[in-house]
Amino acid sequence: MQEWQQMTIRYRKYMFYLLALYVLGWGFTSYQSVFAGLILGTSLGFFNMWLLAKKTDTLGKAVTTGTTVRTLGTLSRMATAVLAVIVALRYPDIFHFISVIIGLMTYIFVIMIDYFLHSILIRK
Amino acid sequence: MGAIAAAIAIGLAALGAGLGNGMIVSKTVEGIARQPEARGMLQSTMFIGVAFVEAIPIMAVVIAFMVVGQ
Repeated sequence: MQEWQQMTIRYRKYMFYLLALYVLGWGFTSYQSVFAGLILGTSLGFFNMWLLAKKTDTLGKAVTTGTTVRTLGTLSRMATAVLAVIVALRYPDIFHFISVIIGLMTYIFVIMIDYFLHSILIRK
Repeated sequence: MGAIAAAIAIGLAALGAGLGNGMIVSKTVEGIARQPEARGMLQSTMFIGVAFVEAIPIMAVVIAFMVVGQ
């Protein structure tokens, strides 16, 4: 159980670091639309990750206590991705589209890199 | 034609994700029911698995909305 909590805290920390870097990039470089897109995408990706962690925890609790869980929140996560795409398509001069997509996928890269680091470097 | 392409993209991706998520969740529930003390480790594995599985339908939704939005 401690491993699970540490893992979610670690992912949250990495996402906040990345968001802070993007805000610095937005504020101090001339690529404002790229970094605004990254901020939008990463924020919504972060929400997706938080929702997935919350639903996973709810499922685990429900199995141990014997209650039921109706949904894992896949539709909400898809709706978040749709929201990001709609905002990026509606305001192309403010948000760079490809950056929004990269930002939306950031949490998967964070999980992947952390998983490989932990499974290859730290555990062995 | 764009709407049909979007519908097929989202539909097939959701089908794959549904099957994948179903397998992951069923095995996790089975594991937690057998060994409740291993919940943390199983939840971590499930979280990583579901995140990877759901990357594809999310990308499909994005591509579908790009096609419809053009």
